[in-house]
Amino acid sequence: MTVDLTAPAASADPYAVFRSLRDTDPVHWSEAHRAWLITRYDDVSDAFRNKAFSNDRVRPVLARRKEPSAASDVLGLLAGWMVVTDPPEHTRLRRLAAGAFKGQRIAVMGEQITAIVDRLLSAFLEGDGAQDLISEVAYPLPAIVIATMLGAPPADRDRFREWSDELALVAFGTGGAARADRHQRALRGLREMDAYFHTLVDHRRRALGDDMLSALMARDGDDLLSDDELVAMCALLLFAGHETTTNSIANATLALLRHPDQLDRLRADPDLIGPAVEELLRFDGPIKVLNRWVVAETEVRGKRISPGERVHLVLASANRDPMRFDDPDTLDLGRNPNPHIAFGKGIHACIGAQLARMETRIAVSRIVSRMPGLALAEEPVWKDVLASRAMDRLVVRHS
Amino acid sequence: MRIAVDNSLCEAHGQCGVVDYDLFPLDDDGFSAVGPSREVPAGEEATAELGVASCPARALRVLP
Ligand code: HEM
Ligand code: SF4
Repeated sequence: MTVDLTAPAASADPYAVFRSLRDTDPVHWSEAHRAWLITRYDDVSDAFRNKAFSNDRVRPVLARRKEPSAASDVLGLLAGWMVVTDPPEHTRLRRLAAGAFKGQRIAVMGEQITAIVDRLLSAFLEGDGAQDLISEVAYPLPAIVIATMLGAPPADRDRFREWSDELALVAFGTGGAARADRHQRALRGLREMDAYFHTLVDHRRRALGDDMLSALMARDGDDLLSDDELVAMCALLLFAGHETTTNSIANATLALLRHPDQLDRLRADPDLIGPAVEELLRFDGPIKVLNRWVVAETEVRGKRISPGERVHLVLASANRDPMRFDDPDTLDLGRNPNPHIAFGKGIHACIGAQLARMETRIAVSRIVSRMPGLALAEEPVWKDVLASRAMDRLVVRHS
Repeated sequence: MRIAVDNSLCEAHGQCGVVDYDLFPLDDDGFSAVGPSREVPAGEEATAELGVASCPARALRVLP
C-alpha cells in the first residue's frame, strides 16, 4: 500500500485516509511522496523536537546550483527565512522577530482589523445571489492586514496579494514546462517586491513609526536585523501569514455551514468565538502537512529513518487522533482543553499565531453575525495539494 | 505578580512565547523556562495573563 495525499479522493476527504494510516501504519513510507507520513499526535509531537529532523532545506538546494540563475537571488531571499533555518541561525532570527509579535502589539490591531473586515463585508453584502467569500473577503483580508502592519501606504496594498501568490509559486516549487513561463513572471514580480521592501526599510530606518517593520528593527543586545534580513522577513510574513489565514477563515466558515447546530450555538453565544476558533483550527485547519528533512539516522515507532529522506508531519491527522482528542471527528466549539497543533509546536511554532487567531475570530464573528441567512450555494472543491487544506472558492448566498 | 509553569504539563506548544518571549522564555526545545516562580515586571500584568491563558496544555498559572 502506498498513500498519495494529493489524489483527488484524498484531497476531498483526507480524514478518512488519515484514520486508516493512524490505525494501520502510523509511520508510513509513501512511494508517491517519497517521504514518511507521520500521522499520530504523539509521534508528530515528538518529531518537532527530534534533532534528526531539519527545517534547513533551501540552502542545500542553493549550494548545489553551479550557475547563478534568475532564480538564485530570489532563492537567496527565501534561504534567509527563519522557517527554513535550524538553530543557531533560527534562534537568532526568532529572537529578533519576537518583539514585533508581542501580545500588546497584536491586541491593538483589533479595531483596525474589524474595520477592514467590515469594509470587505459591506461590499459583499451589496452583491446579490451567489458570491465567492474567498475572493471577496478571506483572500484580501490577510494581505491588507500585513501591508497595514508593515506600514505600507494603502495604495500599494493590492501588490501584496500578487507578491504573495508569486511567493507561493516559487517557494512551493512547480516544475513542468507549462509552468515555466508563470515561474519566470513570478521571479520578475519578486524582484520588484525585493526592491519595494528595500525602499520601505530605507524610509523606516530614517523615521521609525509604531508599525511592525519599525519593531523588527529593534536591537537584541548588540545584534540587529540587516536590511536584507528585514526584507526577507517582510516577504516571509506575507508568505506565511496570507494563504494560511485565508484558508483558516474559509475552512472555519465551511465547517460551521456543515454543522448548523454549532453555527446556532455560536450565534447564540458570540463570546464562544475564542474556543470556537481553536476548535475550527483543530477540526479543519489550513495546514495538512509540514515538511522536515532527515539529517541523521533516527527511529520512529520502530521504523528506521535515514539521512536524505523526508518526513511529512501530518498536522491535520494529529489533530484528529482519538488517542488525544475525545470524539475527534465531532466539531465541538466548546472543546476545552484543546491542545491542537494547527500552529505547529516547538521552536518553529507559528510566531503569527496571535495575529492569525485575531483575524480569524473577527472575520468569522462578523461573517456569522452580519449574514444571518448565510448558506452554501455550490459544493466546494478542495485543491489537490499536499501542504495546505484549501478550496478554490467558497460560493455562498447571504439572503 | 508571579507566574509559574508546571513542567510535567508543558508540551512545547510555544504559544506563551508568541505572546511575549521575555515574560515566557522557552528552552532550546521550545519548552517553557518560566520555572516555579517568575516575577512579572510592573505594568505587564495584562500581557502575563494573556500568555497564561494562551497555553493549550494549561501548564501555566498566575501564582496567588
Ligand atoms: C491560521 C493561520 C496560520 C496558521 C495555521 C499557521 C501555521 C503555522 C505553522 C504550523 C508553522 C510552523 C512551521 C514549521 O514548523 O515548519 C508556522 C510558522 C510561521 N508562521 Fe504561521 N500560521 C498562520 C498564520 C500566520 C500569520 C498571520 C503570520 C504572520 C503575519 C505567520 C507567520 C509565521 C512565521 C514567520 C513562521 C515561521 C516561524 C519559525 O520558523 O520560527 N503565520 N505557522
Ligand atoms: S504554551 Fe504552554 S505548553 Fe506551550 S510552551 Fe508555553 S507553557 Fe509550555
